[in-house]
Amino acid sequence: MNDEQRANALLPTNEDTCGPYFPIYFGDDSLEDLTRIHPGVVAGPSGQHLILRGRVLDRHGSLANGVVMEFWQANAKGLYRTPATEGHADIDPWFHGYGRLRSRGGDYTFRTIMPGASEGRAPNITVTLFSDGINRIVTQMFFAGHPANDSDPLLQALESEDRPRLMATRDGTAEDGAEIYRFDIIMAGDNETPFFDDLES
Amino acid sequence: MTKLGRQIGIGPTDNTSDQRTPRQRLRLIPERVRDSFVPVVPARAVTRQHEWDMTRIAPDMPRADGEAIEVTGTLRTESGRPLRGALLEIWNANHYGRYRHIEDHSGLKLDDNFFGMGRVLTDDEGRYRFWTISPGAYLARPDIGRWRPKHIHLSISGGSSRLITQMYFPDEPNNATDPMAVLMGDGFERNIGKSYTTPETDVAQGFQFDIVVGGRNATYFE
Ligand SMILES: [Fe+3]
Repeated sequence: MNDEQRANALLPTNEDTCGPYFPIYFGDDSLEDLTRIHPGVVAGPSGQHLILRGRVLDRHGSLANGVVMEFWQANAKGLYRTPATEGHADIDPWFHGYGRLRSRGGDYTFRTIMPGASEGRAPNITVTLFSDGINRIVTQMFFAGHPANDSDPLLQALESEDRPRLMATRDGTAEDGAEIYRFDIIMAGDNETPFFDDLES
Repeated sequence: MTKLGRQIGIGPTDNTSDQRTPRQRLRLIPERVRDSFVPVVPARAVTRQHEWDMTRIAPDMPRADGEAIEVTGTLRTESGRPLRGALLEIWNANHYGRYRHIEDHSGLKLDDNFFGMGRVLTDDEGRYRFWTISPGAYLARPDIGRWRPKHIHLSISGGSSRLITQMYFPDEPNNATDPMAVLMGDGFERNIGKSYTTPETDVAQGFQFDIVVGGRNATYFE
């Protein structure tokens, strides 16, 4: 927006907490497992299958129940599906990159594929949290040990003690061949996960 | 040095807010990676035909207890562009202040005829409409006597627009002490539905709640 547009802009509706009772009814299996299209259809996204799991913890180290988590990532070739990339040759017709789940008792499991590295970036997944007591907060997680982490501009902009807090760590391989990574989020207090300001940035 | 942005406020008298609000300032996102933070939610037509009328569990079922109301409005970006085909997920407590949610242990009365969850899509002009039962206020902090004012939860997603908010009701006694309303300050006015007389004989009154999705995310791909 330029200055004139800014002056004429409508005032936004305030974000508010989603409260403790975000309906489990609104859950959608196909958003909790991006590798699953439909059990009756032979199709699926390209790429290494990934199981991302972990805990969401509060200031006292207790599991934060009922957190709505949203995930956003590039496909295996590092391309995001946005209006700007429509028709791009590297778009995966079976992958849109948006996931959503509500954590059960503070644990979460999200099935997807390993994101590829976008231009100039290390592979990453954007994670948005909605929860009782807070409005939306956002962060980005990375994969520990990936060589591109050392030159990622977001990681480089962080203090050195913050970087490991955004690293998912390898935790074996599932029977079906999916790589398992763990990523815990600490919403507040000691060892707090760094969150980013997507309104003022 | 990391460039820092907002410090998130903690909702006064809200224990969960104290437990879950990040204590450190948010970090600013470097310009060159800013676009990677903008999810694009795929269009999802998950609504069912009768979900816009939350005053009944199904069209052939009885009306739920309490006052039936209509909520209408437009959904727009800050620049005024209507958001078409956006999904509104709506949930609110019943007339007695109880949610039909497995984790609502308040013990308040469940109404057999109220489900309390519905989904609608915005039309080509960004307009939406639904009916529901005017929700009961509920006691959020019995120890200090703080109530949650009447409110309807709304989750809005479509394209790069994403917002979770609540519509409050005019002139409610508990509005002023609500922790999140306190954090909104004068801007709280924008989250109050405006009462109107509806010609509909099936609902007692209407509330107009025009929603503006703010921030850069809302307009990122305009
Ligand atoms: Fe509520």
